[in-house]
Parts: sequence; structure tokens; C-alpha cells
Amino acid sequence: MASMILPRRLSALQTRASLVRSMATTSATPGSSSAGASSSSAAPSTLTGESEPLTHFKITLRRSAIGLPDRYKATLESLGIWRRMQTVFMPHSPEAAGKILRVKELVEVQNVPASLVRTKAEQRQDRKAPRGYAVVDRMLS
Amino acid sequence: MFGAFRASPVSASGLLWKVPWRLSAPRKARQRQRLRDVDEVIETVRQSGVQCESLTRALALPKEYEMPAKDKYTVFNRRSKGYRKGIHKVPKWTRLTLRENPLGF
Repeated sequence: MASMILPRRLSALQTRASLVRSMATTSATPGSSSAGASSSSAAPSTLTGESEPLTHFKITLRRSAIGLPDRYKATLESLGIWRRMQTVFMPHSPEAAGKILRVKELVEVQNVPASLVRTKAEQRQDRKAPRGYAVVDRMLS
Repeated sequence: MFGAFRASPVSASGLLWKVPWRLSAPRKARQRQRLRDVDEVIETVRQSGVQCESLTRALALPKEYEMPAKDKYTVFNRRSKGYRKGIHKVPKWTRLTLRENPLGF
């Protein structure tokens, strides 16, 4: 009887977790808003409907390592993360997986395809609001 | 000492912190949510298809829905009565993995 109850609870919990995940996405890349909202449990069939292979980890630091032993701080530094809410992309590898699992309490991870990987400058550009005008011609020079 | 206050004897009208011996319902709810968040991180790494020993160890940890309430809100302590104390009394407990306790306690 307990085994009959558990699967229903599991699906309810997963749904709630995926709702939390979709509300907690940080990267404001326009093209990836739906991909970012897709829960990790639905990774192979993303909401964008793409069949691209998911090749990278998108890692965002949610909790800081202040007050934790140096190995956590060193792991975050090796991931390339310097501050809270910073997002970093790393290709799938056992080394990256091991680093993520060492700081699994501090970090939020998603699997993303290579097309959604953004450098720091590109992430900054994606956050900028579009200008309400376009320069058509210049009178001077 | 810890926090903003300096320790002084209570009998000399020193400052006293009160820490409840158990978690409140909202605090427990947040603890469950944190456990679920970590479960999601482990699940994401598993779905990436990468294989490593830390993933094997992480998958051996119980998931939030598999854990008894005792393990979610208390932690083993050899000096406590009943050999358990509130998990909130562990420093940095919201950022540590404290899912497993010695067998039988």
C-alpha cells in the first residue's frame, strides 16, 4: 500500500519542484527563457521542442560559501564562480560533475545545449534592454 | 562568541539567546524544499550521462521523499539524550549535506 502511495507523491513533488525551478531562472537570455524554464526532469524533450543534444552544465551559485571550509571556496573558484547569482557554463565532463556535486548544496544546475552557452559578455548583453529607437542617419560627420 | 552579543552570565543579567529545541512548521517546509533542490541538482547531473564516483555516492543518498522525518529535522549526536539533536543546531546546516546518520540511532 505504501508503494502505491509513493509514486503519486513523487509526481506531485516533482511538479512542484519544476515550478520552483521555472520561477528561479536567472539568465535573461531571450531565446533561452523557455529552455531555462524547462525542468531538469524533462531535459531530453525541452519545451523549445529542440532535439539538440544537451552538452553543457549551466551552473548558477545560489548560496555563498562564506563560513564554509576552504575546499568549498576552492571548488567554486575552480568552477569560475566569484559571486552569488553568477552563471557559468561548463561542458559535460566527470571533472565538472564532481565539482558540482561537491557544492551541490550551494548551486543550481541545468543541462543546456551548446547553442545556449553564453560568455560573460554575452550574458551582460542579453540583460540589456532594447533601445526604443534605431539610428537611421547622422547629420554630423 | 557568536552573534552580536558578548557572552556573560545569565545570573548577572547577561544576554541570553533562546534557540527553540525543535524546528517550526515553516522552517521544516524550507528544509524539505532545500532537500528537494539538492535532489534536483543530483538528478540533473545524472541526466547529463556523465559517470563519476561522486555521482555514485550522491545517488546512494536518500531522496527527500524517502527520508523519515527524524532524519530531515534531527541529526545524530552522541552526547544528547536520545542521541539526537535538532538539525538547526549544526552550524551551516542549511548548506551542508546531513542526510545520513549512524545505523540504529
